[in-house]
Amino acid sequence: MGETLEIIRSISFSLARGEIVSLVGPSGCGKTTLLNLLCRLIEPSQGSVKWHGNEVGGVPPGVGYMLQKDLLLPWRTAIQNVMLGLQVKGGSRAEHRARASELLDRLGLGGFTDHFPSTLSGGMRQRVALARTLAPDPDVLLFDEPFSALDFQTKILIERDTLRLIRELRRSLLLITHDVEEAVCLSDRVIVLSHRPCMIVAEHRIDMDGDRDNLIALRETKGFAHYVRRIWAELDIR
Amino acid sequence: MFCCAALIGVWQWRAREGALNAFLYGSPAEIGTALMTTIETGAIWTDLTTTALETMAGFTLGNVIGTTLGLALWYSRFVSRVLQPFILALGSIPIIALAPITIIWFGTGFASKVAMSTLSVVVVSIIIAYKGALGVDPDQINLMLSLRARRSQIFRLLVIPASMTDIFAGLKLTVGFALLGAIVGEFMSSTKGLGHEIFKSGSLYAISAVFAELIITVALALALSGIITRVERRLLPWRHDLS
Repeated sequence: MGETLEIIRSISFSLARGEIVSLVGPSGCGKTTLLNLLCRLIEPSQGSVKWHGNEVGGVPPGVGYMLQKDLLLPWRTAIQNVMLGLQVKGGSRAEHRARASELLDRLGLGGFTDHFPSTLSGGMRQRVALARTLAPDPDVLLFDEPFSALDFQTKILIERDTLRLIRELRRSLLLITHDVEEAVCLSDRVIVLSHRPCMIVAEHRIDMDGDRDNLIALRETKGFAHYVRRIWAELDIR
Repeated sequence: MFCCAALIGVWQWRAREGALNAFLYGSPAEIGTALMTTIETGAIWTDLTTTALETMAGFTLGNVIGTTLGLALWYSRFVSRVLQPFILALGSIPIIALAPITIIWFGTGFASKVAMSTLSVVVVSIIIAYKGALGVDPDQINLMLSLRARRSQIFRLLVIPASMTDIFAGLKLTVGFALLGAIVGEFMSSTKGLGHEIFKSGSLYAISAVFAELIITVALALALSGIITRVERRLLPWRHDLS
């Protein structure tokens, strides 16, 4: 005990506007730590975190953060949960409500705006969480395995809708996952991380023909298995 | 329910047979008569309302002070550091040991009972509110931080509402403590109140009257906690487990 672990060594990567990039790594490699460092929720013990080449003090603006836990506030209805980030920013309540209602509509939850989270299913709750993340209109989305607790069917549907929406809004997404297939399916680029201390092992641009919205058919596409196999090998899971 | 009825039945039977000394242990029939008499003559109403008012005042005061301080402990590390030793010290004193001081400071009337009641509520209330505030999911705080919320916003939008479940549990718990404080205060020195009547009847070996007054005290406690449950259901509509 009391021993310090070197978790993350030097990591540098870029994320272009509208690009979806996945970070995959063996479990326990420090993915979540990396994400928390990026949003400055924790301070690095050494070194610095730079956004657009500049060090930022405090949480950088324009970042949306989403976890496996939906973190909906149980005392707020779906729409009030979506309005949370807007309320923190300030401004007119009517505008917030309109924006939240529009997002919920687009995520197929138009009829559930006034439901409390406890009455919604896991998938619906995660959709509300997604709407909450998107509501303040962030430039960069940081997702830490937000869909990993959902069953396969729900997951495929919500991933499809999420991707469609993010591509449409031209937002950048950094997705942290341990699921290689998910990473290959969803991303434009996959970055493979090593065991502790966490470093970048490889980077793959994912080029696949076919409809990127059809996440099931994509798994059958030529090249999919190839990417998955290579990334698996690089992950070096013991 | 059945067990209770059976117990009362056996009690009445043994008391009537003379196997149980009714002078020392009372009997259900006598208790019933005593209860009816106090209610009919209306003598008990002054005592009941006195104790109820003392209890409610102490309960409100104790919980307002306690909850405010408990949440403030979360908000300010400074407040937390200053107050913690006092809270521990106050929490470890048996409440009855404070009775002489409250009588000297607040007199023998209404105020000293409210003070006793407040004192028996406040520490529990502080600890529960503080625990509630500390129990907020750190991921939820991170989420608020990622939305660039200020500490005051996190406090208002997250910590206070999240602590409500615990605070209401505390309210239900402290109703009993508030009543206890009021009755202990009445035991020490008083001219009216349920505690006063119980003490008086006990001194006179009027066991049936003691029991009758105890029943009224229990009824008061149940009525007060019933009110709180209702308020909770009204104020926390998202808690579907409550209804």
